[in-house]
Amino acid sequence: MSKRERYNNITGYIFISPWLIGFFVFTFFPIIASFILAFTKYDILTPPRWIAFDNWLRMLSDERYLHSLKATFYYVFTAVPLRLVFALLVALLLRPTTRLTSLFRGIYYLPSLIGGSVAIAIIWRQIFGLDGLTNFLLHLVGIKGPNWLGNPSTAIWTLIVLAAWQFGSSMLIFLAGLKQIPGSLYEAASIDGASIWSQFIKITLPMLSPVILFNLIIQIINGFMVFTQAYIVTSGGPLDTTLFYALYVYQRAFQNLEMGYASAMAWILLIIIAFFTILAFKSSRLWVYYESEGIG
Amino acid sequence: MKRLISIVLVLLLSLSVFTPILSAQEKIPLRVAWWGSQDRHNRTLKAIELFEKKYPNIKVYPEYTAWSDYWTKLNTQAAGKNLPDVIQQDYAYISEWATRGLLLPLDEYVSKGIIDLSNVAENSLSPGKIGGKLYGVNLGTNSLGFVYDPELFKKAGVSLPKAGWTWNDCKEAMSKLKSKLGIYGIEGITTADAQVFKVWLLSHGYWLYSDDGKSVGYKDDKFFVDWFNLLLELQSKGGMPSIEVDAARGSLGVEDMFIVTQKSAMALLWSNQLVAVSKAAKERPLRLALMPRAPIPNARPANYLKASMFFSVTSQSKYPKEAAMFIDFFTNSLDANKILFAERGVPISSKIQKALLPFLGSAQREMFTYISLVEKNSVPVPPPDPPGANDVIKNVWNPTVEQIMYGKIAPDKAAAEFRDKVNKILQQK
Repeated sequence: MSKRERYNNITGYIFISPWLIGFFVFTFFPIIASFILAFTKYDILTPPRWIAFDNWLRMLSDERYLHSLKATFYYVFTAVPLRLVFALLVALLLRPTTRLTSLFRGIYYLPSLIGGSVAIAIIWRQIFGLDGLTNFLLHLVGIKGPNWLGNPSTAIWTLIVLAAWQFGSSMLIFLAGLKQIPGSLYEAASIDGASIWSQFIKITLPMLSPVILFNLIIQIINGFMVFTQAYIVTSGGPLDTTLFYALYVYQRAFQNLEMGYASAMAWILLIIIAFFTILAFKSSRLWVYYESEGIG
Repeated sequence: MKRLISIVLVLLLSLSVFTPILSAQEKIPLRVAWWGSQDRHNRTLKAIELFEKKYPNIKVYPEYTAWSDYWTKLNTQAAGKNLPDVIQQDYAYISEWATRGLLLPLDEYVSKGIIDLSNVAENSLSPGKIGGKLYGVNLGTNSLGFVYDPELFKKAGVSLPKAGWTWNDCKEAMSKLKSKLGIYGIEGITTADAQVFKVWLLSHGYWLYSDDGKSVGYKDDKFFVDWFNLLLELQSKGGMPSIEVDAARGSLGVEDMFIVTQKSAMALLWSNQLVAVSKAAKERPLRLALMPRAPIPNARPANYLKASMFFSVTSQSKYPKEAAMFIDFFTNSLDANKILFAERGVPISSKIQKALLPFLGSAQREMFTYISLVEKNSVPVPPPDPPGANDVIKNVWNPTVEQIMYGKIAPDKAAAEFRDKVNKILQQK
């Protein structure tokens, strides 16, 4: 490498050094530390003590851990499809660009912007509380609403509905994907007498499938990491029905001061998310159509 | 020339940055942390203003939260070696913090007279002593109790709670209140961790933990089963809010309780909370009743005198002397106590107690009267909770309560599971 090239390289590194330092200090080293801590017993106030695989084995017999797995999986496999379905439906409705559709796109996007916000969660708690808005409205039409937050069967649904309500960001991505489908395909199809439904199934969905894959993966990853809503709205819910994984990790780490155990749980979550991401990618070969690959 | 001017200007600018810092250094910064209700925050902040007037060279930086967030925050600060100078402490945690070296022994400040404890009885100080050294100054004496609304009792024609009343008397009163007024008899029992179960055991002559802290403290699961059968009965008869209602309410501020809205005739309270609850109830006359004794012959009292909370000085503090002065001010200043008004409990200084009497509002007077009543009807303060107690309460007791009250498991089956799980946790510590 010539002197000039080396000089250019070093200058480059200096320019990105703020980001590099931030990355190493706040992301990379904590990840390494968390992996090492997962093999220890560490309560912050005293130095860590090496206990090898005890933390990992403990998870298998920890009843509340199994509850948290159940609650998180239930949430991911209901909230994510719901969110994507709503996102696609509304994107289809708002596809033509008029002033009215632009306004509605903004309105539907807004809830997802304020996503993990604490304020929204607090309001949500009020809405589904005992004398909250939902039951008040139901009362007006003569229905006695259930105790949404106190009933173990309904509590998790308040959170699923909250997730589905925030479909806006996925909707925008679907909109972008829809715009890229050449109109000529639809014209040709309608000339050949295809119905709206088969146009949807045979043109829209396949052309949109890369975008669907993208949204699916992003939403699965976010779904597994859900925390704020459970922390504020239900605090882990009646009978641990909303004790999401991230919330349980938080409780073990900061309320019980068991940093080692919590770190081990965090790494298992990483493995779970990685597994489902890889699963989505592998399966994509079966259902995702990339135009560049030609007939597929 | 241009270069010289710019250098001089830069130097001047940088000096101007430092001068405010230099002058600010003249005041000693004292960080004080506490938990409490909004009422307590307001009172404490006003008391701090008085302290700063008395000692103009000290500037206090308050850090206050609700109880539910306090220890999470403090633990994080401890890990980051960033603890405040003065922290409010609780009997449940003080011995752990002291043995880990996070708190400063205050004995030298007492002997030097910086903290004047000449008017304080030894009994009030002993809860804050670990290993013979004083780690926390008691901020007020309190005890568990049932706060009740005498108006509602009169309306329902129920006789007021008497000293020595048992759970049977209590149940009778509650069913009358329900049938006459349609309101709850009591609230707050299921969300109080294991506090009421603990005094239930005390009244039977036992304690939740064994002497060595390695296992459950009672041999017969009957105590567990009877307690939960009692709660299930109260829940089904409408004597207390169902677990569903309590789950939807979440962790409440004192200002949100049913007793304030007159939907419940009684509520479980620490006696010092009477001040805040009375304020929320717009100074409606509320009174305190002793905890009901166990429904057995010769039941022991179900009350003990507790140091409601302490002020401790952290060992990392750079200004221990000023921190000690702050604690002394809280304990001995009459003006401060007129503002604080025993909201943290009955003040430990007999001089302050006497001086406050003519100023006391009805809530405070009731609290002082209650504590004197408890003095005559109490068992000695139980030992501090063993290591692992926090895990027991959060991960075994609370989920067990939920499961039983939601009807997912019967009390007798739950009793055996509870014992196993608790013993396992305590033995690992």
